Amino acid sequence: MTTSIESEIEHARRGRTAHTAVELSGVGKTFGTGTGAVTALRGIDLRVAHGEFLCLLGASGCGKSTLLNLLSGLEEPTTGTVSVNTARPSFMFQEAALMPWLTAARNVELPLQLAGQGRGARRERARELLELVRLDGVGDKRPHELSGGMRQRVSLARALAAATSTDGSAQGGAPGLLLMDEPFAALDAITRDVLQGELLRVWEATGTTVVFVTHDVREAVRLSQRVVLLSSRPGTVVREWSVDEHGPELHDEITGRLRQVITSHAA
Amino acid sequence: MPPELVERQGGSSTDDSAKALAGLDALDTPTVNRVPWWRRASSSVLPPVVALVLIVVIWQVVWASAVLPEFKLPAPMAVWDSFLTIVADGSIWSILWTSISRAFLGFAIALVIATPLGLLVAKVPVVRSAIGPLLSGLQSLPSVAWVPAAVLWFGLTDATIYFVVLLGSVPSIANGLVAGIDQIPPILPRVGRVLGARGLASARHVLLPAALPGYLAGCKQGWAFSWRSLMAAEIIAAGPALGIGLGAYLKNGSDFNDIAAVFSAVLLILVVGIGIELLVFRPLERRVLRARGLALS
Repeated sequence: MTTSIESEIEHARRGRTAHTAVELSGVGKTFGTGTGAVTALRGIDLRVAHGEFLCLLGASGCGKSTLLNLLSGLEEPTTGTVSVNTARPSFMFQEAALMPWLTAARNVELPLQLAGQGRGARRERARELLELVRLDGVGDKRPHELSGGMRQRVSLARALAAATSTDGSAQGGAPGLLLMDEPFAALDAITRDVLQGELLRVWEATGTTVVFVTHDVREAVRLSQRVVLLSSRPGTVVREWSVDEHGPELHDEITGRLRQVITSHAA
Repeated sequence: MPPELVERQGGSSTDDSAKALAGLDALDTPTVNRVPWWRRASSSVLPPVVALVLIVVIWQVVWASAVLPEFKLPAPMAVWDSFLTIVADGSIWSILWTSISRAFLGFAIALVIATPLGLLVAKVPVVRSAIGPLLSGLQSLPSVAWVPAAVLWFGLTDATIYFVVLLGSVPSIANGLVAGIDQIPPILPRVGRVLGARGLASARHVLLPAALPGYLAGCKQGWAFSWRSLMAAEIIAAGPALGIGLGAYLKNGSDFNDIAAVFSAVLLILVVGIGIELLVFRPLERRVLRARGLALS
């Protein structure tokens, strides 16, 4: 493990409980106006601490993608305020969405290049990050030469590159915010299982704040420290659970509550 | 006990995870079948050669059967002799140079005009609705139709030729770029935005490379159109200021009732067209597609 990653861990430990990374208060989002208006989110109050791993759980139409877009600044809320106190948030999607014309390493370098970093520095950083996701040695391969799980790890490395460096000031390695939109949903069960473990390891190692959206209760309970259940149409916070305080029955409890939310939509 | 608690504690389980991951990678990585070069060459070179030989044989048979008079269908050897004549007196080089240099220059100018035009049409909705249909329409208008007007405007000069060539190739190249940009998966620009690409950086790092396959296809078609338009212009607009290109050579053959020269001119035009395609566009396209895992092996 390289020194810069070690310093990141140090930084992460110090910063972990310091202050909130993300704060949403009274956030609502409505698309369109008049009779055709659709309210995606209503009255969302949410606070995420630095270095926390939070899962947003909900059925279709709970506005989870909208919520991530608000956090990443791709969209503006209609009501309420969103404040993000981290380095620029970075996104990971269900698809790896790697640039097919770039090698794995150049894909990881891309956000650094866009932030104006020099070639040597970004090459070194990409090598470190690929090593972190255990992909050392495949930097020269193109996305189509990699398996789905490997592509998704390159995507994770790229998201980390984006999250931990903005404005060319990578030397602090300020832990960033990782927004993950069902990143493992398209993978087979075995790969998903291994990658969940890998994500936890990487999260521990880098101290990034993670907001992870999923449909899967098991995944939410396994990965996160806190699970937030959202209702659908419009999305509101139904309940939240702190995973560490609950025993093995938590999975059933959350599933039961999710069922209730879904059943309420039956016409 | 949830598995992550075990994993979070330990060095040995981390090693396990690393090994499991390495195993998965080894199992899941797509395998590539490498075909030896000589087999690839024989499967790509042999069929067209056989087809060509067959065509010449059929031609020879039809000629020998004398169903068509000699002044309509020359013997393959007569065409070959006619070809050798211009090789022997050296005029072939000036003929080829005149036409190919025009085609290249015209194509280069077309690229310079069509690329920003295509970008504008693809990215600015007003421009698209204003001239998008016109651009597609121009593509189906044979550029020969512009020759009479061009002769009236520019006389029998190079300007006439270039005008016709540009009107033939600019719409193809621009349309290719528009199609290439339209076919970009929406996730890529979105990812680009999330990674911090805006405006020009987005065009340079995301839009243009992602549109490259479509753009290249447009360029290929644009080249074919510019070569075609050039020949049409050279055949119709002949004059002392224009020199002798392939089109003029063809026209001369026809004027002198020299069917062998006409055939050798047509074949030369074909060979140059195919040659540029094979030597320039095919390798370029193959490289671009292969880098993206799109090329058929």
